[in-house]
Amino acid sequence: MEEEKGKGMKRSEVNTAGSTQASKTASSAATNAHASHNSTEGSLNLKNLEVFYDKFRAVNNVSLNIEPKKVTALIGPSGCGKSTLLRAINRMHETIPNATVKGTITLDGIDIYGSLVDPVRVRRVIGMVFQKPNPFPTMSIFGNVASGLRLAGASSKDEIAGIVEESLKKAALWNEVKDKLNEPGTSLSGGQQQRLCIARAIAVRPEVILMDEPCSALDPIATLKIEELIRELRTEYTIVIVTHNMQQASRVSDSTAFFSMGEDRGGYLVESGLTPQIFTAPTQQLTEDYVAGRFG
Amino acid sequence: MSVLRFTAADLVKAPSGRDARRRRADRFMRGIMFVTAAIAVVPLIGLITYIITNGLPFLTSQLIVNSPLDIEPGISNAIIGSLQLTIASIIVAAPVGIAGGVYLNEFASPRVSSAGELLIDVMLGTPSIIAGLFAFLVVVPALGFSGYAAIVALSVLMIPIVMRTTQEVIRLVPAGVREASLALGIPVWKTTIFVTCRTAASGLLTGVVLAVSRGLGETAPLLLTAKGTNDTEILNFGSTMNAMPIVIYRYSSSPDSLLIGQAWATALVLLVIALTLNVLVRFRTVNNRVA
Repeated sequence: MEEEKGKGMKRSEVNTAGSTQASKTASSAATNAHASHNSTEGSLNLKNLEVFYDKFRAVNNVSLNIEPKKVTALIGPSGCGKSTLLRAINRMHETIPNATVKGTITLDGIDIYGSLVDPVRVRRVIGMVFQKPNPFPTMSIFGNVASGLRLAGASSKDEIAGIVEESLKKAALWNEVKDKLNEPGTSLSGGQQQRLCIARAIAVRPEVILMDEPCSALDPIATLKIEELIRELRTEYTIVIVTHNMQQASRVSDSTAFFSMGEDRGGYLVESGLTPQIFTAPTQQLTEDYVAGRFG
Repeated sequence: MSVLRFTAADLVKAPSGRDARRRRADRFMRGIMFVTAAIAVVPLIGLITYIITNGLPFLTSQLIVNSPLDIEPGISNAIIGSLQLTIASIIVAAPVGIAGGVYLNEFASPRVSSAGELLIDVMLGTPSIIAGLFAFLVVVPALGFSGYAAIVALSVLMIPIVMRTTQEVIRLVPAGVREASLALGIPVWKTTIFVTCRTAASGLLTGVVLAVSRGLGETAPLLLTAKGTNDTEILNFGSTMNAMPIVIYRYSSSPDSLLIGQAWATALVLLVIALTLNVLVRFRTVNNRVA
């Protein structure tokens, strides 16, 4: 299924903003266990992206390259449009009335805002994990993970069972829930629920997973587990994570993009680059002040 | 300004002054609330005991099994009629009401939504005899006094109830649940049916049961539409039909003491059916929440 989808797409490896990582791409390809996952599959390119709510410009002229099979962290003070930007990447912001986008976002060279592109399908390819764990309350643990396949795909029962197990294993939740798959998803602890949501997101086999502050509602131990999981998942998926926690950004991400709020309260990209560079030797004073904790 | 300061020794002193007044006021208010609660509950209990004491002596198996035309007359045709009319009406009202409520909440523009809500409010406030009159003026001239006319009248009363409850329970579904579904690439219509409505399912059921209970007890619209009959009509909605509220109304104004007693017994049957329905649903919803 994935391969077919890949064939139709032009592969684009133009790296404009963050080409420094080209060498790292090769090493991640080596660690990639799944043959079905092409190493360059899941590269995102944002160009002159602007997101509006009505007339208010929440995101201002952002151009950013997001490397495939890497973790990219979006950091910045509250209200600088990180989440808005993230939601624009899988067109989830369209669920808010009057939200519009200018500029382009391409996934493996395909414009996801193209006229032929169905937003529903975009979300199959670019999954999302939210701030608050949101398992479906009426569904079992199994049902939660299977929901995407049952409702948006056409898989057979055996296939679904296999994918559910595989997804739960990938989300490092299988051992904790394998004996109670029929219990409701909401019976799990907060951290487990969040991993369940991650399992649910990867069950539909996306190329990219967007995470909107996935740990902000969790305790430190659960947070650590999710972070560990994020590092493991990047061998197969491109991960974009919005976080308020700079330690978290430095722990889990390969690249970091720092956003700030402009005069017009619209968010803009200050700078982006490899995470160690952003945290130790940023080129912008604003970034340095932020990562040093002097504001935000 | 000095603040009134207590020491440990004050704690064991008998309350005086302000404290004593506060305690008196507290007791007084509690008393008033108890009395008002009693005022609300006592008539209800009185009503139920009255129905039971008057109805129980006449509640025989013949009453339930026999039709009014049998030698030992009963009200079987009214029970059957009530069930048929209510079920048929809810079959019409539930899908329309649920779909309408979902539409207003999930899809309609704010303007349409508020117009719709106003309309529901008006319909909820409409006296049931108006609904009966509507069916009487629109359906009865075409089809005569009939089950169909009754179904129209009852559905008109049920739809706003289902719609309003649907709106309320759909509103309670957390936005995160919808988002999670959409973010999985599940189309909007599937999200609405299989995620949003499924999450609110027990609430939707409550709305339907509320509407059914309302429909079971309605009298005025039935008098203007189904009219009542001594015949037993099964799935013959084209003819006049009998229903329990009609029996209660007609029999209670009769001079025959047997019929008056049977009216009480019918009221008792109606009460039991409505109560059973509510209890069943309560059980289901509670179980759902636990599961």
